[in-house]
Amino acid sequence: MSHDGGMWLLAIGPAGAAGLYWGLYRYYRNTDKSHDFEHETAVEAKPITGSEKKVGEVKGTQETRIDGDNVAAYRKRVQRIQDNTS
Amino acid sequence: MPNTSPPIPPPTGPGSPQDVPPPAGSFPIDPSTLPPPIRDELQAPDPVAINTSAAELKDGLNRCPKCGSTEIKQKPGTDLLICLYCRNEWHGEGVEEAFGLGEGIDQLTGTVMASGARDIAADAASMMTFKCPGCGAEVTVNTANAMTARCHWCRHVFGVNEQVPNGAVPDAVLPFHIKKDDAVARIRQFVDKRQLFALKEFKEQFTPENVVAVYLPYMIVDGNVSADVAGHAEIETRRYESGSGDDKKTYYDADVYQVDRHVDFTVDDLPLESSAERGNLDTRTNTNNIINTILPFDTKNAVKWNASYLAGISSEKRDLDVEKLRPHLEDELLSIARAQVQKSVGRYDRGVRWEQEHLSVHGTRWVAMYLPVWLYSYHQPGPNGGMLHYIAVNGRTGKTMGSVPVQHWKLLAAALTVGTFLEVISLFFLRHSS
Ligand SMILES: [Zn+2]
Ligand SMILES: [Zn+2]
Repeated sequence: MSHDGGMWLLAIGPAGAAGLYWGLYRYYRNTDKSHDFEHETAVEAKPITGSEKKVGEVKGTQETRIDGDNVAAYRKRVQRIQDNTS
Repeated sequence: MPNTSPPIPPPTGPGSPQDVPPPAGSFPIDPSTLPPPIRDELQAPDPVAINTSAAELKDGLNRCPKCGSTEIKQKPGTDLLICLYCRNEWHGEGVEEAFGLGEGIDQLTGTVMASGARDIAADAASMMTFKCPGCGAEVTVNTANAMTARCHWCRHVFGVNEQVPNGAVPDAVLPFHIKKDDAVARIRQFVDKRQLFALKEFKEQFTPENVVAVYLPYMIVDGNVSADVAGHAEIETRRYESGSGDDKKTYYDADVYQVDRHVDFTVDDLPLESSAERGNLDTRTNTNNIINTILPFDTKNAVKWNASYLAGISSEKRDLDVEKLRPHLEDELLSIARAQVQKSVGRYDRGVRWEQEHLSVHGTRWVAMYLPVWLYSYHQPGPNGGMLHYIAVNGRTGKTMGSVPVQHWKLLAAALTVGTFLEVISLFFLRHSS
């Protein structure tokens, strides 16, 4: 083992306790469940269209994902552009 | 008896509207003073209603087509009605075929409502009185929670089959398939697997035989829509490491793209809770998400409204109109659109940050439907009225979901015990490695 002694091991206790607590709580209470309408509804979609344009570069970041990644967070609403009524 | 209930807080939580626009027809300015496009929109004809009421059932008596008896019940486990007098069996007319509900979704324009989905009349009472043609007695049915009653003099069975404007009578009903024994077994099984940390009082009072069959009100919506999303996405171009030993870190280079996507799609039979209380899915204050989770139902098999399917089963009245449900629908349509476009942005291996979204609803069709649910409930006392826990069984598919109250100190003790155990092991490793 390395020279700093793997002090991260000390985090295992609290992390394990918290993880277990929330895991069990969810198993009993199922507060995280809801109807998966995005996938369980009959949807017929035409081919998806769109465009993309390179607008910049990121150099030497330590982040593994784009900031604010919400590609799978379907229900997190972003700015809604309304129809022009004029 | 005045039928007043406390105001229900606006729905929140997953898939629920966050801001509700003013209802239709509440425009504060005279439309004729407005510019033509706005005026046209305001004065456009009201939503079209498909008449789904059954004229032959207007007197409240649903008769056996063979012998005329009113002793009719659903044959358990089937969609058939059975006459208890002559044992004649017949099938209710499917709404799908009767009203062509499965067809032409991609051609939908405007708002099409089946007659049972029309706005609830504000002054309509819950009590409906019928004059019994058998003996002349007056029989009352409380449409807030029941759709059938029996004349206590001549035993005629009455059902509310007329589509009264109080919104109590939907267009269609999906009959129960799951029998009580089956529902009880499923609930017992669900709770059996959640014994260890369950609240002591819950376990002591657990009697799944008290499960009730209830028809819950839903709007089944078809939609023809287009959606757009726009934002930024990244593709990794280089990955390298810097530093040494424990200071070694991974760095990434990436190309940033501006991305937009457009999708045209239709949805078929999207179910929305049309009771404000059940539609509030805020899991901090209730466990209605449990009832939501047992969706979907095979709504294609629903039959035209006939109160005989509800004999002996309680029901809950709808209290949300189409306009009130529209924000919730749009919210769900946007979520569906985002799920649809996900596969088209797979090449952005560092993910996508959607920043803007837009929805055009070209047309919708609304059908009010009763869906069958077995409900076992437990009231956990506590602050703010405590918490009502449900274990719900889908009356068609048997899908079961529940909320079992936990004994917090037990859960906490278990978590701390396991945490301490892990900590001891890690300390052991630390000591022996240094
Ligand atoms: Zn008969
Ligand atoms: Zn009578």
